[in-house]
Amino acid sequence: MGEIANTPRGKGILLCIQCGRCSSSCPVARLTGEHNPRRLMEMVILGFKKEVLPTQLPWYCLSCFTCLDRCPQGGDVGEVMFAIRNLAVKQGNTPAGVAAQAKSLYETTRVINPVRTALDRRESLGLSKITTEGLEEVQKILRRTGMEKIVKST
Amino acid sequence: MKYAFFLGCLIPARELSYEVSVRKVLPELGVELVDMKGANCCAPFSIQSVDHASWMALAARNLCLAEEMGLDIMTLCNDCYESLLMVNNILKRNPALRDQVNQILSEVGKEYKGKIDVKNLVDVLSGDVGVDKVKGAIKEPISGLRVGTQPGCHLTKPKRIHFEVLRGFNELDALVQATGVESVPYERKEMCCGGPLRDINDDLARQVSREKLIALKNAEVQAVVTVCPFCFLQLDLGQLEVKRHFNEEYNLPVIHFIELLRMGMGMKLDDWEVKAHRIPITELLKDRL
Repeated sequence: MGEIANTPRGKGILLCIQCGRCSSSCPVARLTGEHNPRRLMEMVILGFKKEVLPTQLPWYCLSCFTCLDRCPQGGDVGEVMFAIRNLAVKQGNTPAGVAAQAKSLYETTRVINPVRTALDRRESLGLSKITTEGLEEVQKILRRTGMEKIVKST
Repeated sequence: MKYAFFLGCLIPARELSYEVSVRKVLPELGVELVDMKGANCCAPFSIQSVDHASWMALAARNLCLAEEMGLDIMTLCNDCYESLLMVNNILKRNPALRDQVNQILSEVGKEYKGKIDVKNLVDVLSGDVGVDKVKGAIKEPISGLRVGTQPGCHLTKPKRIHFEVLRGFNELDALVQATGVESVPYERKEMCCGGPLRDINDDLARQVSREKLIALKNAEVQAVVTVCPFCFLQLDLGQLEVKRHFNEEYNLPVIHFIELLRMGMGMKLDDWEVKAHRIPITELLKDRL
């Protein structure tokens, strides 16, 4: 648990009293038994690293933040989820869709880029050009934070 | 009223009608928008999932650009809004994290100072322009249309960094109603569209969208009005996916709020903009197009 609690977004785990309000307010938990935020918090508290980090469990959350408003402890379950995901990614557990966005950001400064027809449309409407003007700075930042390595290894 | 205009990635790539409408409507209401040259992606939830420090630094770089312009930021996308707003709030209040981020930013000759605020389209229209002025600009009210509004999660949640959930709903609804349409309450209005799980768990994303569509259909609305481009995509394109996987047809047109406002102000949508809606809007708005 310490590894999660010591991160800026993970410290809410220390406040969890296992009441289950997060699970009862979660729109995903309503649809699938696979996702149970309360149980996930319990597994983190008990140090079940192997059972969490390499699995699908960190990747069910919508980040809709309903649980942030409902948690009576201010435990920020939806925030803790990012601390868990950061550790999962470090172990190579990155969903393809997330990896693709990270790669796109690293290569173009944007997670989504226009296709040819959209570029043509922009030009014909006289809309601003989509540039990669900030690319050098973005790559410098990502080199410094270590995300460049993650992008290149996934 | 002058803002640094943060366009984000999705809107200029896929939802050009949203951008065009904003560029047409806002100047009419006295809002000047200045494009942010060299801005990078806001660092949305996907990027936040990869690395915390990169999120902070990338969002902060955008905040620095606006600081250099001496302007508050206006975003359109809820994801951009949440990312930039959260980082701005954290860095304004947490000197230790601010130092860390500034160390990273020093690599690119930037320093976050905490001098600007982050707003979104709804904030700007309801707070700065004012609902009365918006109402006054409506030349051709759109009457006889029942809609459900989809504010999207990150306009209102978590409430400690936004206006209260209910107030957020009310402000959007007041703006929507100013155009003449009727915004009706429906169950699960507060619920996510499912979009954040697109490309991560498409099956679940569709199931969440379906829940929302069922609730909207039960309220007998004729259309959904969105502000977030991800909600738009997920509910518009998503309906085709729900149709394919569940064999259910909802036929619920999805309209960007700003398009509604633009039509109410007497500015027609172009043919390509009408066709950008995967669930056709032609029947519903035939007097307007």
